[in-house]
Amino acid sequence: MLSEFDDRPAVPLWLLAGAALTMMVHMYLVFMWVPTEAAQGIVQRLFYFHVPAAFAQFTASFVGGVAAILYLVKRDSRYDDLSLAANETVVVFGLVNILLGMMWAKPIWGIWWTWDPRLTSAFLLLFIYAAYLVLRPAAPVEHRATICAVLCILGMADVPLVYMSNRLFRTQHPAPVVGGGPNSGMEPRMYVVFAFGIVTVMLLWWCVLLVRRRVARLERASADLTRRSHELEDIRSY
Amino acid sequence: MDPQLSFLFWGYTVGWLLIFGYLFWISQKERSLRKKVSELQEAMEERWKQKKA
Repeated sequence: MLSEFDDRPAVPLWLLAGAALTMMVHMYLVFMWVPTEAAQGIVQRLFYFHVPAAFAQFTASFVGGVAAILYLVKRDSRYDDLSLAANETVVVFGLVNILLGMMWAKPIWGIWWTWDPRLTSAFLLLFIYAAYLVLRPAAPVEHRATICAVLCILGMADVPLVYMSNRLFRTQHPAPVVGGGPNSGMEPRMYVVFAFGIVTVMLLWWCVLLVRRRVARLERASADLTRRSHELEDIRSY
Repeated sequence: MDPQLSFLFWGYTVGWLLIFGYLFWISQKERSLRKKVSELQEAMEERWKQKKA
């Protein structure tokens, strides 16, 4: 059943306003303020959306995984709803990350895609979560949450592999520019825009997560009410 | 248009469209589910009344 909480908007107004405001400021910083990178040119500015999208994807994967573990321990359906919501956002932000990476790769590498360790592990991560979303409705209702929780923990385990892939292997993908060792780093204004990009995308991700979690709760309430309605019908006919 | 600028433009456009398109889709889904749940609750109350009568 719907609680009083569900009558309120899924996303608080302050969060929505904050996300909209930071998004506008971020666009200004990316297109008007940050200096152009000398070697790659203007297309490098995709970095300020590509990496924050990956950051949101990894955070979503972590939130979904922790919620899945909590579901397995406590058997509380609210954790399953949160896990489902977070896992769907992994796919959305993962797609944004990969598509932006492809648009950056084409003018710089001359190709849209290559099967190097970073790109392959990122694709695998997206594939695991896409499989989760496809398998979820097909799984038996009574075991659905448990099967999905296990699959989602498997997905979360792929995140460190994606993160470490360009540190452990030689890749076409560039070495990390933030926290990547003595030869890594950026111009100070680039750091500012990068940090602002992370804040912007994370606020947006939070809004998306809250709406999706509400949808998951409503789907559960709807299924529950339909089942009870049928039970009542059966009692009446009996 | 400078090809690099074109990739930058389409990159940001596709990224924002994907996120806002998804947000719009789940918002519509939330609205329709809310309506469905409300109708189901009303129907349940009606049946309870009939059962008691």
